Amino acid sequence: MLKLLKLEYYKNLAYKPFKVFSILYFAILIVFLFIGLIDFDLFGGKVNLKEQGIYNFPEIWNFTTWIVALLKIFLGLIIVFSICQEFSNRMFKQNTIDGLSREEFITSKLLTIAVFTIISTLIVFGITLFLGYQYSNTTESDKVFAEMFFIGNYFVKLFTFFCFLMFLSVLLRKSVFVFLAFFVLWIAEAILLAIEKFQKIRGLNEVQRNHVLQNDFFISKLFPLESMSSLIPNPMVRLNAAKLLGMKYEFHYPVESLIACLVWCAIFIFASYWILKKRDW
Amino acid sequence: MEKILSVKNLTKKFKRVVVNNISFDVEKGNVYGLLGPNGSGKSTTFGMLLSTINPTSGDWYWFGKKGTDPETLKRIGAIIEQPNFYPYLSAEKNLKIVAEIKGTPYGRIDEVLKTVGLLERKKDVFKTYSLGMKQRLAIASALLNNPEVLILDEPTNGLDPEGIIQIRDIITSIAKQGITIIIASHLLDEIEKICSHVIVLKEGNSIYSGRVDEITSNTGYFELKADNNSLLLSTLEELKWFSSVSMEGELIKAQIREDASVSASALNQKLAEKGIFLSHLTKKKLSLETQFLELVKNTNHA
Repeated sequence: MLKLLKLEYYKNLAYKPFKVFSILYFAILIVFLFIGLIDFDLFGGKVNLKEQGIYNFPEIWNFTTWIVALLKIFLGLIIVFSICQEFSNRMFKQNTIDGLSREEFITSKLLTIAVFTIISTLIVFGITLFLGYQYSNTTESDKVFAEMFFIGNYFVKLFTFFCFLMFLSVLLRKSVFVFLAFFVLWIAEAILLAIEKFQKIRGLNEVQRNHVLQNDFFISKLFPLESMSSLIPNPMVRLNAAKLLGMKYEFHYPVESLIACLVWCAIFIFASYWILKKRDW
Repeated sequence: MEKILSVKNLTKKFKRVVVNNISFDVEKGNVYGLLGPNGSGKSTTFGMLLSTINPTSGDWYWFGKKGTDPETLKRIGAIIEQPNFYPYLSAEKNLKIVAEIKGTPYGRIDEVLKTVGLLERKKDVFKTYSLGMKQRLAIASALLNNPEVLILDEPTNGLDPEGIIQIRDIITSIAKQGITIIIASHLLDEIEKICSHVIVLKEGNSIYSGRVDEITSNTGYFELKADNNSLLLSTLEELKWFSSVSMEGELIKAQIREDASVSASALNQKLAEKGIFLSHLTKKKLSLETQFLELVKNTNHA
């Protein structure tokens, strides 16, 4: 374990893209967490997210995790670059010949992923807690803890996402292809979800439609990217402005998405291992 | 003799058969040459023995243990095709990674860098190295764990004459320490200089396996010339000592049969008895190169 961490430390520390994107990521992450303190000029009017209630307990957990989860692509770039360079420099082959097993290789990459995910989660947790106690209109402990599970979801979401990118990197070995494949899947999932929704609500009246959309089970919700995104729903309807407009916020804990994510994680990890084992290097 | 490696009926098919039913043994302390033209399956064979390529069928035993697991690999030092290192890391950092994988103490790093003459450049980034230096660093890396056997795939490929000599000297000094070496090359005179044994591959088939001196000394040929060359030619053909007799310009070339052993003086005496007096006679051994070409040519028809 320590050996594998050391290996990753040596491999990545002097790797430029790795350093640049790590620093960028953590800098932007922290800036984004404080985004509510800034006034935006939007449609001529001033918008201040803090005044829209994003720092109130318990919504704050939903808001911060959702906002910073958008940044995961930066960390994703690091993971993809660092894994793909192992293949483009033929280092996976060399490591294997030197006596590193496939299991150790996958574990070392998972450790890197885990370290990044944990650091990111801890930062988000710490700063969110700080912002909440600073700016929330309530600090009653039951409100503070009520939606803290979003931090857990954030961890699972990031970890699954990086496992997905690790799998694509092992499968395609070139970062360009990895990002292409990622976008193709992203669009494909969106199209399939739209098709499934359309099929289910075709010919229904408005009330029935809403009922179906909220309560029916959609198979496309189990797709990797969709299940990841369902872990932290878009919190915009929880803005004060949205509340004024009469939008209703309803949230059921996405158990099936959580399970789907964990299953996808297992599939991605095992499939990566299998590819390393079966391919000729 | 202790067997380091024993390969039995190893076969690899990609779209076509690349390695076909190869069997050979490697004994401790010898230097083996794996010979063959480009594309004859040398690198694929090494890939399978080093666990980077999955075999289609066949077995092998390293140190009497079946297959290749990471523990076995830690007793082997290997260089494949080209030197592979993280281009953005220094030689020292690169070797630290190898040491970490092999479980070797960092103290060995300076020792091996000294062996290959790169100690002064250890802080320099790998991509700034010349090809010769890269290849020497690869040897250093392979030596890091005090391997019992060293595998070298085309170690002098693309090097200039000076680089070739440097690598050859390093290999020779390693061989003197009693480390078993398996070296693949298509540079025959190099194999002839370094190796005690050869395995000749052609289109995935093993066509010869044995000692270098046996392949080169067994047979030879005479070059002869007499005033009456046509009489000489027919006399030689009658003698039944030769597998072939042919005119090559002014000279007659007589290939000695593999089961015959003829000295130049015996031949001279025999011809004199028959009234043929030679103006030219030399006995020549075939070089490994001609032997190899001969082998490869012969199996073409088979």
